[in-house]
Order: sequence, then C-alpha cells, then structure tokens
Amino acid sequence: MEALLAFTRPPLDWHALAPELTLLAVGTILTLVDIIWDEKSKQVMPTLAGVGLLAGLVPILTLALDGTDRAMFGGAYMVDDFALVMKALFLIVGYIIVLMSVDYIRDGDYYENEYYTLMLTSLLGMLMMASSRDLISVFVALELLSIPAYMMAAWRKGGRRSNEAGLKYYLMGVFASAIMLYGMSLIYGLTGSTSFSSIASAMALNDGVTAMSILGVLFVLIGFAFKVSAVPFHNWAPDTYEGAPTPVTAFLAVASKAAGMVALIQLVFVAFDNHEVIQPFFWLIAALTMTVGNLIALRQTNIVRLLAYSGIAQGGFMLVPFAVAGQASERALQAIVIYLIIYAFMNLGAFSVVLAVSRKTRSGELESFGGLFQYAPGLAVAMTIFLAALAGIPPAGGWFAKFGLFRALLDAGGAWAATLGVVVAINTVIAFAYYARVLGQMWFQPIHEGDERPIKLTSALGSALVIALVATMAFGILPGLVGHFGEVAVLSTLGR
Amino acid sequence: MVAQNIAFGIISGIVVFSALRMVTTRNIVHSALFLVAVLAGLSGQYVLLAAEFVATTQVLVYIGAVMVLFLFGIMLTKAPIGKSMEMTGTQWPIAAGVALMLGAVILYSLIDQFGSDRLTEGGKIYRTADVGDEVFSTYIIPFEAISVLLLAALIGAIVLARKD
Repeated sequence: MEALLAFTRPPLDWHALAPELTLLAVGTILTLVDIIWDEKSKQVMPTLAGVGLLAGLVPILTLALDGTDRAMFGGAYMVDDFALVMKALFLIVGYIIVLMSVDYIRDGDYYENEYYTLMLTSLLGMLMMASSRDLISVFVALELLSIPAYMMAAWRKGGRRSNEAGLKYYLMGVFASAIMLYGMSLIYGLTGSTSFSSIASAMALNDGVTAMSILGVLFVLIGFAFKVSAVPFHNWAPDTYEGAPTPVTAFLAVASKAAGMVALIQLVFVAFDNHEVIQPFFWLIAALTMTVGNLIALRQTNIVRLLAYSGIAQGGFMLVPFAVAGQASERALQAIVIYLIIYAFMNLGAFSVVLAVSRKTRSGELESFGGLFQYAPGLAVAMTIFLAALAGIPPAGGWFAKFGLFRALLDAGGAWAATLGVVVAINTVIAFAYYARVLGQMWFQPIHEGDERPIKLTSALGSALVIALVATMAFGILPGLVGHFGEVAVLSTLGR
Repeated sequence: MVAQNIAFGIISGIVVFSALRMVTTRNIVHSALFLVAVLAGLSGQYVLLAAEFVATTQVLVYIGAVMVLFLFGIMLTKAPIGKSMEMTGTQWPIAAGVALMLGAVILYSLIDQFGSDRLTEGGKIYRTADVGDEVFSTYIIPFEAISVLLLAALIGAIVLARKD
C-alpha cells in the first residue's frame, strides 16, 4: 500500500516532447484515416504524411529559438542542440523519402497506407534516438526504428529479392541487437546504471579498463556497427539494398544509417570515456569499412548495389572522426554531424535520379544509364552533381564533409591519425574511379536499348530531386551554412 | 545462505544438463522441451536472487509465449517430429569452437570483474512495485514507445502475412 502512495507522477516537459508527439499524432491520424476511408484514403496518405513530417519541424524550431537544454528523468532523455539538429535532419530526410515513395508505391500497387504508417513509426524511433541518453531508451529507440524498417524492406511482397532483403535485414538486425543487449547488460552490471552520464562517471572511477568493460563496450558498439553497416558487419547491406523497394533502400542508406551514427555519437562522446579501447576499434573498422566498401563497389554492375557499397564506404568515412574522439572531441563531433547532413542530401539525390531513370528503363543495371545525357540532360547533370558530391569534388557539397574529416584528424595529430588520413585520401581516389564509371555511362555511352523517349518526372519525385540538389549545391558553395549546424550541434553536458 | 547455495547448485546442474541435451538431442520436440527446462531453471535462479519480477516475466514471456510459439512453429511447418538425423549442420565443429571461445572470453571477464565479490545480506531488494514505479516514471518514454512499436509490428505483420 505504501508503495502505491510513494509513486509520484513524473514531470514531463511537453514542449520538449512536442516533435515526437506531433509525429505520433500524425501516425495515429494516418491509421484512423486508413480505417475510416479505406480505399479512398490512398490519395491523401502521402500528403498527410509529408505535411505531418513538416509539422514536426515547427516545435523543433520553437525549441531551437528557446535555446535551453532540456533534461528529463535525470538526463535520460535530453533535448539539446545536438538532438534538435539531428531531429530536424531526420524529419527533412523523411519528407524527401515520402516524396520519393509516392509514385513508386502507387505504381507498384503495394500497400500504401501501412507503408506511410510504418515509415512514420520508424522516424519516431529516430527522433527518440537523438534524445536518448540512457541504455534502455537507446535500445527501445533502436527497435522502434528498425522493426518497421525490416518490414518495409520486404514490402514488394511478390518479389523474391524483396523477401530475401527483408529476411536478411531482420535476421542480422536481431543478431546485432542480441549482441548489443548482452553488452548493455555487462555495462549495467559493471556500473550499476543505465544512464550515460552515470556510466561515464562510474567507468572513470573504475579506472576504465577491465576485461569486462572492454567486452561490454565492444559488444554495444558492434551492435551499432551492424546498423551503420560497417565492415566486417556489412554483409546484409548489399542484398538488402538491392532487394528492397528503392525508396526504402534510400531510407535505410540515409535515415537508418544516420540514426545508428547518432547512437554511436552519444555512446562515444557521452557514455564511454575509455578512449584507449574505443579509438583503436574505430580506427580499424573505419579503415576496413572505407577500403572494403570501395574495392567491392569498383566491381559492381548494378547501380543500386554500387550505391549500396558506396554507402558502406561513406559510412566508413563517417566513422573516421570516432578514431580521434579523445584528442579532438569537439572537431570530431562536428565532422561527423556535418558529414551526416551532407551525406543525407547527396545520397538521397542520387537515389532520386536512380528512381527516375528506373521508372523508364525498368532496370537497375549500370548500362541502363547509357546515354542519359542525350535524352534527359537535366537528370544527367543532376546525377553528375550528386556523384561529384559523393566523390568530394567542389563545388558540390561533399568536399566540405571530407574537409571536416581531415580537419579533425589534423587537430588530433600523431602517427595514427596521420595514417588514417592517408587511408581516407587513398579511398577518396578509389571512390572517384567508380563514380566516374557511372558518369562515363551517362555522358559517353550509346543510349540504352536505343530507347530515346524522354523521362517524365512526376511532381513528387521532381521536388525530392530539387530539394536534394539545392541542398547539395548550397552546402558546397556556402559551407558556412552546414558548418553552422555542425558547430551548433553540441551535446549537452547537463547531468554529467 | 546455505539453503540458497544448495538450491543454486541443484538448479545450475539441471540447467547445464538441459542446455547440453538441447543441442545434442536428435528430436526437435525434445530439444524445445529441454529449452523449457533451461528457461525454467533460470527463472528459479532469479527467484533465489530475490528478483521476483524478472522471474515471473521469464516464465510468462519465455515459457508462456516464446516456447508455445516454438511448438506451434514445429507443428505448423510440418517439421519432422520424432527422430531426425539431419538436425546437426555440417559446420557444427566451427560453431562449437566459436561458442567455446566466446564462452571462455565472457567467463574470464566475469570472473575477473566479480570473482572476489560476495553477496551481502540485507542488500536492497527491488520489488515488483518498485519496477512498476520506475517503468511509469523514469522509463515512461521507452514504455510508451514500445506500445507504438507493437502497434506498428502488428500492422506490418498483417500486411506481410496476408494473402493478396
């Protein structure tokens, strides 16, 4: 009885939770509209989902203007500038992917209403991930963003490839979750707390390095390494990317990977202070991920697979700053955030072009891009810009992302950082080789199957393309723009 | 404390034996039932550790839900019930090697960390009511998120499983 009376209602900061609540409300509305109007609702579904995602940006804006870091539950759920920047990124990426999905899902006659509901749920998990500073919240956020994604990967129910994609993603994801949970239980056993700030102070008290703390930290990091498809935990990614519906592939390659990175950022920069364990681990997987991803990408003949391996390699670039998280923590954090933002737009752009071209050619092979410039010059130019951005050629956005990496490495200094810098440089060159192959196809090869009909861009896909294009160019020409978000995105130290 | 130690020893023996039989038996239904024994034994260990909530959850979720799912899965997929020789994959030596190595590493790190610790009497015992309070205060956001997750999983599962 006294236990019942002892309960006090937790103080909830509704303003801080407003973005998540907006998304939750929109998801609920989508489900209700689906039930009430059934078939008729298909027309409004994408619009509703898109508007809902944009509506989620409003509370983020008011929170940003307000500017105070808000901590809930003793720092387990934080709404700081880092969280706000990441949440805004997730919402915008979600919006672009809704735009990319509209025609694909409608033409393919797949289940529409449920698709958007699941995507919003997954995005809700990502928003939650950006604020979670607690092992339990992080785990639940990860499952909330992954489980709908497993099912979306299998959304082309009739296609065997899609079934394979969903199943592989699911099995590897669950396997990774199990490893991660075991690591979390070890860390909890060691530190007696699930909150990141308490874990950090408890680990500092324990002198950081014991066999168990290493094992616990590595298991948790490995769990997320699966999520960001870092080598050697990448083998699900190419098959899943190829088999899944292309908008879902874009979703996995951009949003889901960004969410994994956000989790890693929070773990490395807030919870785990034992850099003598973390840095060599990240050095190794960053170098491996870049190199293996790029080398395999060289041999791909399918454009989606090529982008998949390129995405793996790009993920490797993003892992580089973690390897110097101890010496140059501020710069490293900035570099990752900037890379994430730029990567999101250039990769979404590339996927939009692939979607547009494959709508006409019905093929995912590299040859289907043959002679694109002759019958769709606009798309060819756009794709050139996105690929230049991915390769890191100015003035397209990617160069600034790579610049951030080198700046973090230089800041850290030392032989290890320098070697990693060399690996990054070599990989940038290798990556250019396969991006150039796509360029060669578009500009110099004969038209695929002699089919010269122009490509009709639908308004939704066109808007997605334009947003990505404008952002990519803007970040390249005015790097201060994205640099600003990088500098703003500071992790709160409240509750530490 | 002696009674607890004896009970711990007996339950541990049952759990280890059942776990070994689970992977060596050639009958898939027996395998599933041995798994029930393993999970029930673990639940008993939780009771000994005064973790009543975990023990109950273990029984409800694993024995109640997961194992029933397993048995239904075996029944509905027309897996060969009874003796079947092909249950052991050809790569079992590799798997056994990996399992042994992983087990050794985990065992070493656990003993290294907690080998000299002793359970003290009069430590704080977390009752189910405490867990409930935590779930509805500190962990209210994850708790609510799980309910959204279950709904999404339900919707997605129906879409994927239904016949078009």
